[in-house]
Amino acid sequence: MTSVSPSAPVKRLAPALAEGIATCMRTDPRVVVWGEDVRIGVMGPTRGLVDEFGSERVLDCPISEAAFVGAAIGAAAGGLRPVVDIMFSSFAYVAFDQFANQAGRLRYMTGGQVAIPLVIIGSAGAAGANAAQHSEVPSALFLAAGGLRVVFPSTPHQAFWLTRAAIESDDPVIVLHHPALAATRGSLEAEPLSLGDAVVEPVGRDVSVLATGLMAHRARAVAKRLAGEGMFVEVVDVCTLNPMPWNAIIASVTKTGRAVVVDEGRLTCSVASELAAGIGERAHDALRAPVRRLAVPDVPIPFAPNLEAAVVPSEEAIAAMVCEVARA
Amino acid sequence: MQWLRTMVRIRLFEQMLADLYKAGRLVGVVHLSIGQEATAVGVCSALKDGDQITSTHRGHHHMVARGLDPQKMFAEILGRAGGYCRGKGGSMHVSAPAQGAMGANGIVGGGIAHAVGLAFAAKRLGSGGISAAFFGDGAANQGVLFESLNLAALWQAPVLFVCENNGYTEFTPTDAVTAGESIAARAAPFGIPAVEVDGDDVVAVNRLAGEATARARSGRGPTFIECRTARWRGHHEGEESYAKPYREPPAAADPIDRLERVLRDAGLAADGLRAAMEAEEEAGLAAALAAAEAEPEPPPERALEDVFA
Repeated sequence: MTSVSPSAPVKRLAPALAEGIATCMRTDPRVVVWGEDVRIGVMGPTRGLVDEFGSERVLDCPISEAAFVGAAIGAAAGGLRPVVDIMFSSFAYVAFDQFANQAGRLRYMTGGQVAIPLVIIGSAGAAGANAAQHSEVPSALFLAAGGLRVVFPSTPHQAFWLTRAAIESDDPVIVLHHPALAATRGSLEAEPLSLGDAVVEPVGRDVSVLATGLMAHRARAVAKRLAGEGMFVEVVDVCTLNPMPWNAIIASVTKTGRAVVVDEGRLTCSVASELAAGIGERAHDALRAPVRRLAVPDVPIPFAPNLEAAVVPSEEAIAAMVCEVARA
Repeated sequence: MQWLRTMVRIRLFEQMLADLYKAGRLVGVVHLSIGQEATAVGVCSALKDGDQITSTHRGHHHMVARGLDPQKMFAEILGRAGGYCRGKGGSMHVSAPAQGAMGANGIVGGGIAHAVGLAFAAKRLGSGGISAAFFGDGAANQGVLFESLNLAALWQAPVLFVCENNGYTEFTPTDAVTAGESIAARAAPFGIPAVEVDGDDVVAVNRLAGEATARARSGRGPTFIECRTARWRGHHEGEESYAKPYREPPAAADPIDRLERVLRDAGLAADGLRAAMEAEEEAGLAAALAAAEAEPEPPPERALEDVFA
């Protein structure tokens, strides 16, 4: 974990993501931004960019996800480094051919002749009464699609550095950000994060909790609470999902012998499933209890706030499962 | 004269693939462009080095017209080590970005938006290049075409939308699944100049493509060209094993014969010229095929390469 220095700037998460983009735009004229309402920056990641970089580099697009993602793929193949804000990541479903069959395949199908240095940003997760089509965390689908890097920062520091790493990467990278964390404050430390990194904080010894996004926040809150009761939870924030930081994950689970995977995606074929299976294969002998998954049940995200809260893993549910696993 | 040679080369290249398929020496599905030579040559001859094309599952003619090396094309289509895509693309994905062939695409309409982005990048980077999206009549019914037309018009992107209307959407007559009288007319509401052309008349296609490239290069944005042509073969080779007869024989005259006649009438093609050209091209292609077939298969470890940078 990065040490907190008093001089580091404090930012909220969405502006930190925007600052990550701006930093790249200042040094690399090939970086352009387009997507849905990027000048206004509805969800935050592109807010203010048009003021600094102008409308030649920050372009509002029609609500035509397939076309503007496809055009970004072409522009990336043609030498630019486009950053696309698709607003809600579940809008990717409209353009999934461009994600899965195109962005994720072109380098491979051409035998490495084409690079697609493309970043697609979208919000992911339930932030209060947005219902099923604006609240999902589709990270498992992006991972399963193949050929796509995926990051899901949960702090301003992660958002800043992983966005920079995403833009500097020669691969297509999906950057997810949780709308409920947009205003989360944190310092931007000088120590960078790269694709493939995980953030282990707090360090613990009793149970490993693996989580991303809002779930990582809740896991950290649970760790803090349980520490007061003498149980030391180690939280592995899997802020990059592809490449999957297996070394950090296995190191933690090997140490604690117990793992809970928390996921805001639906349980079936979730990231939690992949992590649980991977831990089972890689660290079976170190496990002192079965790996447990806590995820959204196999239903869409409901509208009514109490129903939404009922399906998204809460701090109480995380704490309860951690205690079960600790006792097992 | 070069057009005639290229059209002959395409025809022979495709005929050799048909023969290979019949002889069981081809793997996978292969969609031949026989009968559509004039569209590829007419458009590609209007492009310059540095321009870029996107292509389709039926795209060998675009690649030959773009000047790709037949041996590396054969090798790719045969799944050999030295193919353009290292044996990982095959017939539907032959690509050579270094020569502006940015990717043949197996998804109908899949490359159209890419061409808009390539054009945007060329404009922004000041390369002076333009792009051309080849697609078929089937793609005329894909939503991404309309989205891409809108985006290209808004951006005044230097791109040519080239629809090769060969009369069949896979196994279905295009008229049966395509409303309205004209595909080109679908571009007009976006303010994009749109023309229909006899796609088997290479001279006419080239003239219109030349006007379109001039428009694109001078910053006046996209053009839509519907080339009316004919597919002489099935959707793919070998389809007769399961598909009942569904096609009328092509009514149009052979586009290569037509060009030869034009050259002859202009006194540019002496007797025997085409035959000599065919003999030369056939010899060249036979050598390319033999060399490609002699290549090894790609090494197995290559299956795990090229996913990421």
